[in-house]
Amino acid sequence: MAIKTILIVEDDRFIGEMYVRSLKKSGYEVDWMVDGNDGLIAARNKQYDLILLDVMLPERRGSEILEALRGTEDLIPHSKVLVLTNFEQDDESRMAMEARADGYLIKAEITPSKLLSVIERLG
Amino acid sequence: MAVINKPQLVKDFFPRFKRGAIFLIIILQVVILLSIAVALQYFGFFNDNPLAFVGTLVAQSVLGVIASLILFRFVAQPIKHLLAAITHIAGEPTSTTPPNPNEEHFAKNGFKPVLQTIYQLAADTPNPLAEGEAQLNKATSTGVIETSSKASIEGALDATICGFVVMNSDRKITYANKATPLRVDQNGVQSLDLLFNENDTIDTWWDECDKNAVRAENTWPRITNKMPNEEDRRYFDVIASYNKGTSSEVVITLIDRTHLYSVGEEELDFIAFAAHELRGPITVIRGYLDVLQDELSEVLQPDQKELFHRLTVSANRLSGYINNILNTSRFDRRHLKMHLAQTTLADVYDTIRDDMQLRASSQARSLAVTIPDGLPNIAADTASLSEVFANLIDNAIKYSNDGGVINVIATSKGDTVEIAIEDFGIGMPGNVVSNLFQKFYRSHRSRESVAGTGIGLYISKAIVESHGGNISVRSEDGKGSTFTVSLPTYQIVADKLKAGNNGNEVLINNEGGWIKNHTMYRG
Repeated sequence: MAIKTILIVEDDRFIGEMYVRSLKKSGYEVDWMVDGNDGLIAARNKQYDLILLDVMLPERRGSEILEALRGTEDLIPHSKVLVLTNFEQDDESRMAMEARADGYLIKAEITPSKLLSVIERLG
Repeated sequence: MAVINKPQLVKDFFPRFKRGAIFLIIILQVVILLSIAVALQYFGFFNDNPLAFVGTLVAQSVLGVIASLILFRFVAQPIKHLLAAITHIAGEPTSTTPPNPNEEHFAKNGFKPVLQTIYQLAADTPNPLAEGEAQLNKATSTGVIETSSKASIEGALDATICGFVVMNSDRKITYANKATPLRVDQNGVQSLDLLFNENDTIDTWWDECDKNAVRAENTWPRITNKMPNEEDRRYFDVIASYNKGTSSEVVITLIDRTHLYSVGEEELDFIAFAAHELRGPITVIRGYLDVLQDELSEVLQPDQKELFHRLTVSANRLSGYINNILNTSRFDRRHLKMHLAQTTLADVYDTIRDDMQLRASSQARSLAVTIPDGLPNIAADTASLSEVFANLIDNAIKYSNDGGVINVIATSKGDTVEIAIEDFGIGMPGNVVSNLFQKFYRSHRSRESVAGTGIGLYISKAIVESHGGNISVRSEDGKGSTFTVSLPTYQIVADKLKAGNNGNEVLINNEGGWIKNHTMYRG
């Protein structure tokens, strides 16, 4: 099943706009939220094919959002999730996120064109 | 005062003794020969067949000298070994290895207890200059004082914050004071609860001492007893003394440096934090360059494109340096984790292929990569391993000349897959090669002429070894260098894991792969 709709949850304006611009150019339908609360609400209201999730976020951390999305009471199995971070956690919280997400990527290592190829492979 | 013209060192005695003995043997034979000759002459025996007589006498003398020398060698053997042992005990500089009482022939000919006694005596004899020790010795010679003195010494040792440990030649702990961090296994055997680096433990040093030393001392700075974030974490400088064959063969002192080193730990955290912080701007620079190059590809002139390439290459390098710093800080704090999964060398290299080609071409190097199909799979942490290849190729570019060729060649060698990175640049002399993988090491020449941090090869080695592989280098000054990374095949790693041989040094099973987890290592 091909990915068409993408939600970006990213508080850094430069980085958020970069992903929006590159993904839109490649024909995806993209929404962008800058804090954790809005991100979770958007993810619940609309079944996105893919969520690009930052970890360090205002209001609600990425790990909390992921837990809510994948938790039993609020199962959103439809949406794939790619965790994007620059702060690699060395502990269990990273392991937990890796287990729940469909990918765990370092933003500094993933240029927009590399991200596009990752998304193509996911879809 | 008379001039002392005699040997001053123990080791000088035996050669002198040997020379004297040989001289004496020859003189005695000559004297015997002459006496017999004079006697025969007197009785007129020479008159019949003088030549035969002289010949017989000379031959007899030569054989006599040889026989005496063989006899001397046999008789002097124990003296030689004794003197060698004493030479080492005296601490004189010598190139010989001390006689080891555990060698088989010493056990066979009964010399073993002699050597053991000598080493024991040497270890038990207090230094007469140390007054305190002399008094202690006096005190222990009478029974009543011995008890109270022993108790008070143990009490005093328990009152210090430094650890004090005595181990016997079976490597069992015979005494440890209260401050020593100890752990006890299921069989009730005590051992030091300290986290040494994998290849530099007390045991590896002890093995070395057993082979080569009678007395030795070693220091391990900054050894901790707990993982980061665990409670009661302490740091020690560990000092060990070795006395071969004695009842207290190794004595270990642990100097508590917690107040000093825990501050350093915060600094390491700061380095990691700062490096992470740098990733934000790097993400933007690399990302926007990527977007812009794509959007402007139609309108950019070739020279402008080249400028973009240079920007991209520089941003990628910067990103690589940050990864090196982060990985080094993780490795040094035992935070480094390798997520090993089944993959191929070609797939790992593919993640950096474009970047490497761009780096080479924008710096006028020609990079030829040969990774044949059908190489065995490997167990790799793709992100870390590709960083190693990037480091090695980056070095090959740095230390070669414009127009230079860099060959990357992968081959299958038995149970390993090898990848060699070869350049024909400035190369290195031998003294540089031997220090190359040390942290912060930079050769005198490259300090002056080439930029760098001196951690690239250090962390590359750590990463490759975390994969169960190794990294080696062959270099010729002025002709170029070849770095070879060899990695065990996936099958070898999988078999090791199945065999249950996944103790500290190997791997931890994980969903979809394994983790080489340095934070779990207990040395």
